[in-house]
Amino acid sequence: MTDTNSARLPGADNIFRKTYPNGSTVLAYPNPASPAVFFRGYIPVGSLSDPTGKNGIASFTAAMLSTGTQQHEFQKLHTLIESLGASISVHAGSLSTVFSGQCLKEDLPFILGLLLEMLSQPGFPRFHYQRLQKQLATVFKIQAQNTEEMASQAFDRLYYQDHPYAHPNIGYPQTVSTISLEDLQTFHQDFYGPNGLVIAFSGGIESEKTASLFEQIFSAWEASNQQVQIELPDWKPHRTDMREHVVIPEKSQTDLMIGTSAPAGMSADYQVCALGNSILGQFGMMGRIGEAVRERSGLAYYAASSLEAGLGPTCWKVFAGVNPKNLELAIDKIKDELKRFIDKPVTQQELADVKSQALGQVPLSLESNAGIVRFLLSLERYKLSLNYLRELPAMLNTISEEDILACARKYWDLNSLVIASAGKAL
Amino acid sequence: MQFKGTKNFSAQEMETSIARTGGYSNAFTSPDWTAYFQTVPSSALELALRFEADRMINSLFDPIEVENERTVILSEREGNENDPQFLLGEMVSQAAFQQHPYRNEVLGSTEDLLNLTREDLYGHYRNYYQPANANLCLAGSFQPDKIMDLVHKYFGEIPSAETIKSIPAPEPEITAPQQLELLGAEETNYIQIAWRSPRASHPDFFAYTLVESILSGPSALNMFGTGGIGNRSSRLYRELVESQLAAGIYGSLSASIDPGTYNLYITCRDDHTPDEVLQRLDQVIDDFLEGEVTPDEHAIALKQAHASFAYSSDNITNQAFWLGYAQSFADYSWFTDYVGQLEAVSRDDILRVAREYLAPAHRVTGIYRPRDGA
Repeated sequence: MTDTNSARLPGADNIFRKTYPNGSTVLAYPNPASPAVFFRGYIPVGSLSDPTGKNGIASFTAAMLSTGTQQHEFQKLHTLIESLGASISVHAGSLSTVFSGQCLKEDLPFILGLLLEMLSQPGFPRFHYQRLQKQLATVFKIQAQNTEEMASQAFDRLYYQDHPYAHPNIGYPQTVSTISLEDLQTFHQDFYGPNGLVIAFSGGIESEKTASLFEQIFSAWEASNQQVQIELPDWKPHRTDMREHVVIPEKSQTDLMIGTSAPAGMSADYQVCALGNSILGQFGMMGRIGEAVRERSGLAYYAASSLEAGLGPTCWKVFAGVNPKNLELAIDKIKDELKRFIDKPVTQQELADVKSQALGQVPLSLESNAGIVRFLLSLERYKLSLNYLRELPAMLNTISEEDILACARKYWDLNSLVIASAGKAL
Repeated sequence: MQFKGTKNFSAQEMETSIARTGGYSNAFTSPDWTAYFQTVPSSALELALRFEADRMINSLFDPIEVENERTVILSEREGNENDPQFLLGEMVSQAAFQQHPYRNEVLGSTEDLLNLTREDLYGHYRNYYQPANANLCLAGSFQPDKIMDLVHKYFGEIPSAETIKSIPAPEPEITAPQQLELLGAEETNYIQIAWRSPRASHPDFFAYTLVESILSGPSALNMFGTGGIGNRSSRLYRELVESQLAAGIYGSLSASIDPGTYNLYITCRDDHTPDEVLQRLDQVIDDFLEGEVTPDEHAIALKQAHASFAYSSDNITNQAFWLGYAQSFADYSWFTDYVGQLEAVSRDDILRVAREYLAPAHRVTGIYRPRDGA
């Protein structure tokens, strides 16, 4: 197994974490060699809070934050950011609105000031609202011709049924067209605020200095009427096979997704399933799925599996891009591998390989500012110990081949698979 | 085929040995070169060097594996063909280069992929995969002296034959404007415009980099990193997207051994025709060529280059990539001196280069239109 020097890894003694009176939380870990700073964070509001019939409002609101603030109109704002070689972007997911950016370290105070303006005092200019409406209409048309996007949306429709996750974050053409500028302003007033805001930094500034800078700039943000996002509704896995094919004429490749339920990112099963997923469709050249579909059969350029790490219902998916005439063959090959996955334990060697990989990836994942920030946010989002990485070797050691088999059987029910595809007519 | 096993190691052994360390390996091909890379914990560096040296001389090109890989690469091409902008790009490159191999898609045409033989592939491998035709670039946590011992150990004994290269004649400049149209099933109009760019080792290339920055925003130097710098303050974004004619625009200027192209990629909105977009674009380019670069624009472009360079050093994979990339068309100091070279470019240089390369008569314009006329 790969040796990791746990004393040098981020942990409780060198990760800075502090929650401020206004409810915001900062995490920071320094990278002294870097001349830049990278940050990413989130506000706890996403498409889950989209009102019925207004799907896409969280996403549209997030897009409006980049169209100017009450102090700086669109062009002034972007000239200020880009003239420093910096970037700030905002987008909405299902549960949160995520912002991120990077800049040279000497520019961080100024960039944080602009970030606060964008989040707390957007200008909501009508001109840009109209522009984004039109741009979204174009995006919907492009998405409708994208086999991967359409297969993914079909999968979510089948899999999540009447749960809010069934809807694309961006909404639908018919819902976005009904969203008014006033709807967006109301949504912002209701849900945006510092309470629950989390931001993580990494770069060439000491953690305490970064946090102090954040406090100095963001402590003034109060939003007494900030609403708390609704609880995630319950969701139960369905118990029948489901299949949908979205026809997109003239496409030379069909995208395919086959999935089942998965544990939440915080659950005890997650780490076991993550190792199992690596064996199934990640390790080396896309694991067992890649070996069966790509290497042995030559059916696809990509054929792999993914395990979502999320809060609430999530899914465990196998996906591939195949020639339309090979679709059924690819499905059969994937089902064969899934059957093997739930029939027999993985081998000792397979398990040793993926455990070694999981530990070996740790230092590599921390070599960039963005990698460090991604790790810090995972700690916060999934309520993991700050010593998570140091405890990882012991945690992985307890996982056996039988544990993976038990999880494979618990989550992969081959009689209730969701199969979605998009491409030429079948 | 370089990942399908050698005389000494099976494909699986190479793949899993690296994956087991937590590292990853892959390869990619540009019009000018093919790069193999491995990013591994420093304790696994010897393993990575051993595999790369072995791959340089001992790959098998098993005929059965060739047939399997043929369908995989055809599948890769089919995936790309799903994207109308890939098809448009292929058409524009064919028009922008009449004779130079830059006109060919790196992945190959479907016809070529169906007809290539194992002997074609093996012949290419034996000709080009020679120590004297390769650059080895290392970045990360190691002691150079010790690493050089390992490099000599694994690569020093590989015999190097002379590589037979067909040196293509540089493509002449585009002397007359060309406009090409592609019809397809998509409902969106796309435009791609290509102007000739100088080779990366040409003194004008740095000024061209600043032309790109001012017109369409800076290209990221982050092949393996996170994010780039936005382009919403660039002239073309302001005039095409902010003015509500187009949904998006970005530019791309690649560093290449021979003269290449500077490309603009525009996604049109459905309430404006490509012709309206092109009309405005022509006006922006005319204004640029007839006007001046403001001191602010010059300063911003330099600051963006400085920041881009800082971000590009954020991870070791990107550092090694850029050393090797620069070595392919100049030498590695091209990259290490990047910011200084840009700082030496004056506002007059920027205009001079723009006027030389961006005249409307010197471009190829490709338009993708919905077949049903939407």
